[in-house]
Amino acid sequence: MPVPARLDAYIETEKQRHFSRDFMIGWENYETWEQATVGDSGPALRTFRIAEEDIVSYNRACGETDPLMIDPVYARQNSPTGEVLQHPVFVTTIAFYSLGEKGIGTWIRTPGARNPQQRIEIIEPFRYGEVITTTVTTADKFVQRNKPYLQMLLDFRNEKGVLKARWWCSLILPETQADVARFANA
Amino acid sequence: MTVPTFSQIESGYEFPAVNQSYVQPAIDYYALASLDMNPVHTNEEWASRAKVFGIPETVGHGMMTMSTLASVVTRAWGVVNKQGGSIRFVDAKFTKPVKVGETVTATGKVKRKHHHGPGKNWVQIAIEAKDSTGDLIGLAEVGYNLPD
Repeated sequence: MPVPARLDAYIETEKQRHFSRDFMIGWENYETWEQATVGDSGPALRTFRIAEEDIVSYNRACGETDPLMIDPVYARQNSPTGEVLQHPVFVTTIAFYSLGEKGIGTWIRTPGARNPQQRIEIIEPFRYGEVITTTVTTADKFVQRNKPYLQMLLDFRNEKGVLKARWWCSLILPETQADVARFANA
Repeated sequence: MTVPTFSQIESGYEFPAVNQSYVQPAIDYYALASLDMNPVHTNEEWASRAKVFGIPETVGHGMMTMSTLASVVTRAWGVVNKQGGSIRFVDAKFTKPVKVGETVTATGKVKRKHHHGPGKNWVQIAIEAKDSTGDLIGLAEVGYNLPD
């Protein structure tokens, strides 16, 4: 299932250039609702080094026009941090990059998943050059109105162990690998 | 950008509306920026076969909607500002998928003031977003620290 080639026109960062963009490749390795165990916890597959271009790209994709969010030169002189300010939902990029293609929390990539609700807490802004480690904990798993919900807590810490943000990420998922297969092979 | 102080703001204060286009190029751009490349957002052929939401079209990302909801506050007061304000949390629920081609309008107002003392006072802001048919597509609560 190829990713449409037109998306190449939007590549703006090194991470976007090298990211495994076809979520249909290796879907068999994604954790499923059936496999997930509440309380399981561990680090995501990879760390995320904060780069100015990551933040600017995310902000622009959200439609932001404030120079504090999209103009590095202006931000250097006028931002409270001396850097481009990140949109509060920027942790999405860190999570998708860090979780990768195998292991805990990869259900975030599941074809057929639906997004019911999310909660993000901002402790302090990310800074350029910080290396963010994402710790994933399976927080809840339940069925509501016949829909299987899965929730994980993502803790984002810098290389000094400082907690920068937390995301309670919830999805309604296909329940079993066979259910995922129906979407993957659609 | 000037942010009000905690004592200046009242419950019921209304924020300017935010409009966001969910045409396919905007969704594609968001997919790359967020690295959420789920085909339900970007692959029209797959979306028409899989019908994840019961419709044959691609849809915008829930996280894109969450961003639009949060932008109601951050465009008015900033993510962080020099007066000492900053966003604390965003709590969002999604009530209807945003079909490709839609325009979303999000509005918000201060719902409650939380008196936690100097340097810790914050306000709770209720935000809702509707599509071009007037249907509710998402709700959010945002917490924002205001300077004293």
